[in-house]
Amino acid sequence: MLKVEELERSYPTPDGIVHAVRGVSFEVEQGSFFTLLGPSGCGKTTTLRCVAGLEQPTHGRITIDNAVVADPANGIFIPAFKRDVGMVFQSYAIWPHMNVLDNVAYPLVVRKPRPSKQEIRDRAMEALRLVGMESLAARSATKLSGGQQQRVAFARAIVRHPKLLLLDEPLSNLDAKLREQMRYELQELVARVAITTLYVTHDQAEALAMSDAVAVMSDGLIAQCGPPRAVYDKPVNEFVAGFLGGANSLGATIADRDGGRGSAVIDGNAGTVNVPLADHIRSGDRVEIVFRPEDAQVTFVPGAAGDQVRASVLRLSFQGGLTESHLKVGDTVVRSMLHPSVVAEPGAEAWIQLNPARCVIFAARPRDQQ
Amino acid sequence: MTQITLAGDIQRAQARAAAKSEGRGDIGLAGWIVIAVASVAALYFILGPLSMLLTAAFRGPQDLLPFEDGAHWTLDNLAAVYLDRNLYRVIIPNTLIFTIGSVMLTFAVAFILAWLVERTDLPWRNAVYTIVLFPLLMPGIVLSITWIFLLAPNTGWINVLLRNVVGGNTGPLNIFTMGGMILAQGIGLVPFVFLLLSAALRSMNPSLEEASNIAGASPLQTILRVTLPVLLPGLLAPLILATLITLEQVETPLVIGFPARVNVFSTRIYFELNPDSDLPAYGKAAAVALLFLVCGILLLLLYNHLIRRAESFVTVTGKGFRPARFALGRWRLPALSFIVVYALFAAVLPGFVLIWASFFGYAFPSFGLLSSISFNGYFDLFNNPRFWLAVSNTFIVALSSASIVTFIGIVLAWTIMRTRLPGRAVLDFVSFLSLGIPAVIAGLASMLLYLSLPIGVYGTVMVLVLAYSYRMAVATRLTRASLMQIHAELEEASSVAGGQWLTTIRRIVLPLLTPSLVASFVLLFIIGFREFTIPAILQSPDNQVLSVMMWQAFQAGKTQQAAALGTMIVLFVIPVIFGLRRFVLARDGKD
Ligand SMILES: Nc1ncnc2c1ncn2[C@@H]1O[C@H](COP(=O)(O)OP(=O)(O)OP(=O)(O)O)[C@@H](O)[C@H]1O
Ligand SMILES: [Mg+2]
Repeated sequence: MLKVEELERSYPTPDGIVHAVRGVSFEVEQGSFFTLLGPSGCGKTTTLRCVAGLEQPTHGRITIDNAVVADPANGIFIPAFKRDVGMVFQSYAIWPHMNVLDNVAYPLVVRKPRPSKQEIRDRAMEALRLVGMESLAARSATKLSGGQQQRVAFARAIVRHPKLLLLDEPLSNLDAKLREQMRYELQELVARVAITTLYVTHDQAEALAMSDAVAVMSDGLIAQCGPPRAVYDKPVNEFVAGFLGGANSLGATIADRDGGRGSAVIDGNAGTVNVPLADHIRSGDRVEIVFRPEDAQVTFVPGAAGDQVRASVLRLSFQGGLTESHLKVGDTVVRSMLHPSVVAEPGAEAWIQLNPARCVIFAARPRDQQ
Repeated sequence: MTQITLAGDIQRAQARAAAKSEGRGDIGLAGWIVIAVASVAALYFILGPLSMLLTAAFRGPQDLLPFEDGAHWTLDNLAAVYLDRNLYRVIIPNTLIFTIGSVMLTFAVAFILAWLVERTDLPWRNAVYTIVLFPLLMPGIVLSITWIFLLAPNTGWINVLLRNVVGGNTGPLNIFTMGGMILAQGIGLVPFVFLLLSAALRSMNPSLEEASNIAGASPLQTILRVTLPVLLPGLLAPLILATLITLEQVETPLVIGFPARVNVFSTRIYFELNPDSDLPAYGKAAAVALLFLVCGILLLLLYNHLIRRAESFVTVTGKGFRPARFALGRWRLPALSFIVVYALFAAVLPGFVLIWASFFGYAFPSFGLLSSISFNGYFDLFNNPRFWLAVSNTFIVALSSASIVTFIGIVLAWTIMRTRLPGRAVLDFVSFLSLGIPAVIAGLASMLLYLSLPIGVYGTVMVLVLAYSYRMAVATRLTRASLMQIHAELEEASSVAGGQWLTTIRRIVLPLLTPSLVASFVLLFIIGFREFTIPAILQSPDNQVLSVMMWQAFQAGKTQQAAALGTMIVLFVIPVIFGLRRFVLARDGKD
């Protein structure tokens, strides 16, 4: 449905050229929900705006519904108003001189040929009903709360059933409580209108909860792309692992390698873990063992099984439904979650039981090499 | 540049802040004394002269002051003014043509310039921005006189040049016509309107247009349905303000309109006070002023309405970059030529003609003349004690009135924003009202008041300071806007830490407000330094200021001296303008 190939966009600025997007490729299937996830400034908005037709790519090709809409090498560029996409802007961009209904009806009013007055009204009201705003149709756009603006923006984006829906951090301007509520609402709405959606966010929880596929971006490139669970479970590098849900990372050395597995000795001889290894890792190599807080079980007596790491309690912080523990392994701090009934003094001995199947092993970055 | 408005968002925020600081207990006696003094002063500076004006309109006979022996209540003044067919046949139509004509010219030029600078890929935009503001250096009276140098029918340089081509021994152009007045006035106001318009263009959120683009609207549809309607109030408000300012102009109608025999409202008042033969006709002048005042206040209310609407439209978010600018393409050259022509007529030619005339007199420039250079204009000036008196008067008046108004402005703004003093809405309204009072009326009203009050200030510099100090709106609004951004808790924290009210104000509020205080002080100083109308009405041998002195030299035919004076005024203003540029005119969000 949407295909982006080798997309690049750079801006000349007084201090040199800024490469906002440096070669991004991905494909979004008909009817699916695709998310671009990444830290601030990684090029998400720029990518989205290129797809919308608000920016001209400097290189690459964008295809929507089998029609090439941007291909600078061949001089093709279809401007936004001819692309039939809907978009919710980060600032919502509700026109202040129109009321709610006029805002939503606008994409139909400017359409050629223009539908009949009755049809415009009916469809705009239908879109408003979908977002639960039909009672505010006559309200002036300058008198809306953040959540209401968001709903109007959404209704406006879908009113003419565009081929593609683009959402640029639509929840980031809302406060935390409302954001959570609107996340579910938005998810439901998108499912109901069944329009292919490209979503941009820097919030990993949003991305994981809502998407069929996620592309994690970093510095103008896509680091990893796939279904949320796959990306979460098998991050391809430490950046992706860290960006999706605060991974722990322990330095280790491979003691001996046997077939597809090997035993990794944690730095400071804090324990040995038998882990699956990729082909390029050899005996004697330095590695990072990366695992999620929820995959680290903490006990205060050594168990019989292997794959344990010795640690000491740094602090426990009681947070109601659970207790977050910070443990020290050598100089590294490991986070994990405990049942709130657990208590321990700082300095107490503890053991971390790892599940090798849920650990990911990366060759250590050169600067960690000792 | 901060827009000046009466209510709207500010008032809502203020209501919230006030609700919070209800029962503010830390002000203390000293605090209330300061607030009381400032409020009374503000009310006095604005309402004192105005009430005397209202009274004078109904007191006669017209050559007596309202409370002189022999004066009585009468409607004669009103009858004499408003039953005069001349008013409806000449004065009002002239005023309308002059005002509408110059405002249209101002607006067209300022809009094109602002649009080029803010929304297109014009090269050297920041330089152009500065160039457009250049004419601010020249007070209106100086600018009007330079237009005479350029376009007087016989000796005007441009006419001399044109006659080489078209022949004849006078003309072809004549500044002493309605068209000439409109040209001089219209061009002179461009920088001010340009400032407001470019701020309005800049404050529009680019995603509003992009959203229309996404919705399927063509670029033309987007301009018609989104860009223009969103910008409309922000564009109309400067238009109304320009109308108000043009309406109250005395300089152009006096310098150019009088020889042209084109009388307008503002000069009508001036001439009632300075008749060729008779005594000043106070009552009649006051009667004319009434209608004038009503127009001013109506325009002001309209302006306020538009600004409030524009404020509710402002949706700029911090995020994101400016939208793609309109590519000028082959229009680049015409655009640059437009700017060059503007700069030529608004700044370069007037500046050059002024400096040239100060050395060589009125003669058309040529290399042959270079040897006849004379510094007599300046020598005469520097050897004239009256010049130095005027210099010191000008500085004293501009500095003191700027200080007074800035001080009152802070106290008023703070009182309006942070206390629940009953009557603070009145303070707010009255201080805003000052924007709608034409200088000529302020001058006349002060004249009536201080001629009647036996406190011996009439004819001194003091009377000018008092008369200038009514312009409360600028200081109050600028301070209020920045107070809004200072959380009341910052002050409460100081109070909790043990600071008395005055300590809190001195150590917390004032330091935080410094930028807006400097801005309003500098702005008021410039307004005071350029002021011509009030000191011209209130002039006496002891309180002459530079602008009045220049006008008199020019009237007396001392061209070279007048030009030297004009040059000196500009030289004095230049350093201040740089301060202004730094604090007030800086383009926020340059590209
Ligand atoms: N018009 C522009 N001119 C110059 N640099 C730009 C422009 N637009 C974007 N950039 C730069 O390109 C990079 C990517 O910007 P982009 O807006 O795509 O980031 P983002 O991932 O959307 O970030 P955020 O989460 O903060 O919205 C940034 O470093 C930004 O500074
Ligand atoms: Mg972004």
